[in-house]
Amino acid sequence: MDKGLLAYLLIPLLSAVIIPFAARRRALLADILANVTLLAGLANIAWLALRPSVIQGGFADIPGDGFSLLLVGAVYLVALCVTFFSAWFMPEGQPNRAAYYSLLLVSVSAMTGVVTSTDFFTLYVFIEVLAVTSFALITTDESAGGIEGALKYFFLTFPASALIIVGVAVMLLSLGSLSFESLRIAMSAEAPAAAVTFSAALILLGFLIKSGVVPFHTWTPDAYQGAYAPVSAHLAGIVTKISGVYAIIKLATLLRFFDGRAQALSEMLMFLGMLSIAVGALAALRQTDFKRMLAFSSISQVGYIVLAAGLGTPLAVMGAVFHLINHATFKTVLFLNSASVEKATGTTDMDKLGGLEHSMPWTSWTSVVALLSTAGVPPLSGFWSKLLIILALWEAGLRGYAVMALLFSIVTLAYFMMMQKKVFFGKKGQAAESSAEVSAPLLAPAVLMCGIIVALGLLFPYFYTYVKVVAERIIL
Amino acid sequence: MNLILIPIVLPLAAAAALLLLCERTKYIKELLAIGASLVSLLAAGNIFLQPPDVFSLRWLSGAITFTLHADNLSAFLLLAVSLFSAAISLYSFSLPNKGPSKWFYFNLLMTQAFAAGAALSDNLVAMLFFWEGLLVFLYTFIALSQDNHAARRTAMKAFLINAATDLCLLAGVCITGYIAGTMSMSEISRNKLTLDYGWAIFGYVLLMIGAVSKAGAFPFHTWIPDAATDSSAAFMAFVPAAIDKLLGIYFLARASVYLFTLNGTMQLVLMTLGAVTILVAVMMAFVQKDYKRLLSYHAVSQTGYMILGIGTLNPVGIAGGLFHMINHATYKSCLFMTSGSVERQAGTTDLSKLGGLFRAMPITGICFVIAAAAISGIAPLNGFFSKELVYKGTLDTGYTVFFLAAELGSFLTLASFLKLGHSVFFGDRPEELKEAKEAPFSMLLPMLVLAGICVAFGFGAELPLNWLIVPSLQGMNIPNPTMSGFHPDKLYFASVIVILAAVINHMMGLSYGGGKPSKSSDHIHYAPVLKEAYAMAERRVFDLYEVGMDKVVPFVSRLLFKADRAFDWALDTLPSSAAGFLSGTSRRFHNGSYPLYMALTIAGVVIYILIAGGLK
Amino acid sequence: MTYHNLLFVLAAFFAVWAVMARKLLTSAIMLALVSVTVSLIFFDFGAPWAGVFELSVCAGLITVLFIGGVSLIRTEEEKRPEGRARFYALPLALAAFAIAAWFYLPPFFEELAGAKVLVSGGGTIGAALWGLRRPDLLGQVLMLAAGVFVIKSVFPRRTEK
Repeated sequence: MDKGLLAYLLIPLLSAVIIPFAARRRALLADILANVTLLAGLANIAWLALRPSVIQGGFADIPGDGFSLLLVGAVYLVALCVTFFSAWFMPEGQPNRAAYYSLLLVSVSAMTGVVTSTDFFTLYVFIEVLAVTSFALITTDESAGGIEGALKYFFLTFPASALIIVGVAVMLLSLGSLSFESLRIAMSAEAPAAAVTFSAALILLGFLIKSGVVPFHTWTPDAYQGAYAPVSAHLAGIVTKISGVYAIIKLATLLRFFDGRAQALSEMLMFLGMLSIAVGALAALRQTDFKRMLAFSSISQVGYIVLAAGLGTPLAVMGAVFHLINHATFKTVLFLNSASVEKATGTTDMDKLGGLEHSMPWTSWTSVVALLSTAGVPPLSGFWSKLLIILALWEAGLRGYAVMALLFSIVTLAYFMMMQKKVFFGKKGQAAESSAEVSAPLLAPAVLMCGIIVALGLLFPYFYTYVKVVAERIIL
Repeated sequence: MNLILIPIVLPLAAAAALLLLCERTKYIKELLAIGASLVSLLAAGNIFLQPPDVFSLRWLSGAITFTLHADNLSAFLLLAVSLFSAAISLYSFSLPNKGPSKWFYFNLLMTQAFAAGAALSDNLVAMLFFWEGLLVFLYTFIALSQDNHAARRTAMKAFLINAATDLCLLAGVCITGYIAGTMSMSEISRNKLTLDYGWAIFGYVLLMIGAVSKAGAFPFHTWIPDAATDSSAAFMAFVPAAIDKLLGIYFLARASVYLFTLNGTMQLVLMTLGAVTILVAVMMAFVQKDYKRLLSYHAVSQTGYMILGIGTLNPVGIAGGLFHMINHATYKSCLFMTSGSVERQAGTTDLSKLGGLFRAMPITGICFVIAAAAISGIAPLNGFFSKELVYKGTLDTGYTVFFLAAELGSFLTLASFLKLGHSVFFGDRPEELKEAKEAPFSMLLPMLVLAGICVAFGFGAELPLNWLIVPSLQGMNIPNPTMSGFHPDKLYFASVIVILAAVINHMMGLSYGGGKPSKSSDHIHYAPVLKEAYAMAERRVFDLYEVGMDKVVPFVSRLLFKADRAFDWALDTLPSSAAGFLSGTSRRFHNGSYPLYMALTIAGVVIYILIAGGLK
Repeated sequence: MTYHNLLFVLAAFFAVWAVMARKLLTSAIMLALVSVTVSLIFFDFGAPWAGVFELSVCAGLITVLFIGGVSLIRTEEEKRPEGRARFYALPLALAAFAIAAWFYLPPFFEELAGAKVLVSGGGTIGAALWGLRRPDLLGQVLMLAAGVFVIKSVFPRRTEK
């Protein structure tokens, strides 16, 4: 466990415990406390990573491996956006308001725990905490869809928990230890024991299910679509990425796929990644629900990360890490915008929407920025990460995968253009008649994220330096 | 300033100045053009007598050098081009049916300038530039000569045929330059290319196609008869009769003798092409019912003699070809001029409506008789001598069949001119033409000059041979051939036989056609087998361009359209329907059923574990 | 030995209570207590790793998952009150099973003990928990907090209705 980042785990937990007591009289205090906690954490991380002296020093002063800090930053950023959005989104007098914020903060704690743990069992425990908070968060507004989604999440990711536990058991038997470091050492040895690799494969499979990779993706559309609107952003933007994709990247680097020591696993991972890209993109083409389309898009984008992680070369890992961050930014914007649209018009059915750009220009244009970044249009941040991934594939000689990745990036653009046309452009639908732009605080997170998307794209050289430091530290 | 630039730059400047003038001004345009062409003629004469320095412009930092070089052949050609420009611009002064005179003279001067440039260029690229420039003005010349659809259609036909063959020339020039390693003709000639390997043969054939199509040889001739009806007599006298022949044969000679050393096969190809051109065109000419159209087929037919002459590859034949080139330009221009005069004075060029004009237009008539005799090869006019040289060269190669074909062509030429002269200038004058008068002086003067040249080059055949042809051959590094003037040998008697046969044929035709001179060719026109052949020719079955436009082009365009649809389908419909199918399938699959989802997950888990466990 | 027997009895008692409890929360807590006693038995038998994992996984996690999951479908349950009569037969069946086991199980366990393999490690509960699996404790704390908030989040709405 990384001691340096422990505070990022403990302080939200503390706030989460305080909130129910503080908010007993004044419900508003819950909002303020949650936001202040996350904002303070974010400011602290910014101070750690973005001081001019640190930037000038090529990020050499970053504590730990840098990867954890980066992800903690992403967690705090997305969570802050979600809590800030929720503060204005949630109707007054919702009975579980305080508990909602507490759960959000606990999930932040759990995610911090996930990214700072150095041991498979600890990782598992935190991931289960995350899952528990997610069930509850999904059903915040106790709509039928929410309960449906939560149950699907519960049942369909249950095999993941079982597989991880079995994998941990087998690993403990064969390796005698559960720490990342011992696995790394074992894999560095000339001929790793087959049982060790198998246990890692089982753990990996659990995380594949958790991250919603095809064919284990079936819970994702229902969970994202049914979830309470801001929670979908939280879930899609960061929770499933931390609870699944993060561990996959971590395992990929630990298993040293690139040395060919786990060739079958590596190939399978890449195949599943490509399959996710394809199935997600193709399924997204025909969706009629805004959030459901975003969910399928999320599957497709996770595919890119898994594909790159499966390749495992330093460049690919950099692309995967960067795409993880980018996915957090653009998917949060899109889901928050879908929540705004839902609040303004009362529906997310794209057949009923249309022509919202006049009444909701900010929502419309932040969506455009986010979707262009998703599709990988320069100079937005998504372009760079996809470029890194495709370049890595090309360099590794996997021309077919590289071309497919590029092609499905075009399909991504296609379905998002369709979405943009159906929701924001085109003729005014019946739902668009009476809608007005949502209030400024609801727009602020999306605008902030768009700013980050553009800034990451334009200031890519700095970010590249950072990601390179990360890749060097976690791989070497 | 180098004198060599004047024949190019002056017409260009004059043409540009013409554009500034208003169409309604009288005489200024004409005088400007005539002045410019006369000055060019003087400059060309000067260049011919005293060859100036080589003029070069380096371009693309020396990769390509635009070199203008007046060697003997080029200077001779330049002189001829300038002479015909001057003659035509003078002749056109009072020609009515030439379209807007501003554009006519503009085109004329531009054509002259570019032709002069093509003649003088030593560099193949520069020559190609001028050559392609001519193509543009060929189109505008025809398209602007009459304001109707037919003129534009013919202009497009001429343009497309020449554009296609010019592309061949372009490819040929590229290949030749690549093989030789230089684009300069004089440098290539120092180390002539041989047809030993495929690329060289390909390059030469492409160059040859470019040259003979410019000269209007079979099968690239089909636009010329159309142009005869759809454009002016002056245009016909200038471009297809003079400039195109000059440049085409000039470059054919250059390519065949100067740049390449040909072998026997290629010699045979060239001679066959010449003989076929002679016969096919003259057969068509013989049955024409229109003054200008008949002449235009002869313009094609005569090209055959020149190609035949050059194809012999012996000095006598080449000399004959070149001599025939200048002679043909002279008398064919003159003939077209007479047709223009007749058209102006009588209002028609239909042979059945003309007749007995000799009395009304004696000078035109005399010019016609001289030029017609010259083209028919009647001694001692210039055509006789050049044809004799071609025959002699042909006989020297040993292929008698080509000689016989050429003689047959000669026979039909004379026969058709007997028919033409008889129907236009002799016989009975129709009622409508009682008022016809002689053409104005400005039209008569160039005719007289050209007819005079015909006579002069005939009686004094030594003069042009020694002054023009022999130096040209020397310019192409060919040893001095032994050529003599008029001498009554076997060839002379052969021509006498041809003359007699033609006259007899004309008599027969007259009696067969009921005494009407315009029908004196009917006995051949409607002869058993020929009748069908002519009928097919009338339907343009043999016209590659028309066949292409009627059959091939619609087919190809339909094919391309289909291919385009197919590409559209493959790029547009196929991916979207495939994606639609797949996404529809996946949409139907994601139906929210727990057992299905769970089954999928479990199946995935099982397969994953099997593979991770080492199952392949 | 008394200590062991006490733990066994306690575990059985909590397990039965968990099944018999009318309130869901009680049932969950009893389940957790079963896990706690079982993990104590593990520690006492010198298997601290197993004890720690039992504590982590079962006491914390499964309980909370159980509560979270079942609470979501409680509305359905309330609509159709179940007949509980047959559950009262359970303690009787268990008693019968216990008496039978008293006679037949010890030889079986002795046979198992013969095949025992000594596993390294051990030490006190504190050493195993604090020295080896300290980060998991943090996870446990988080898990408990999450469980509490889940209940707080889900149940107010249910009771309102």
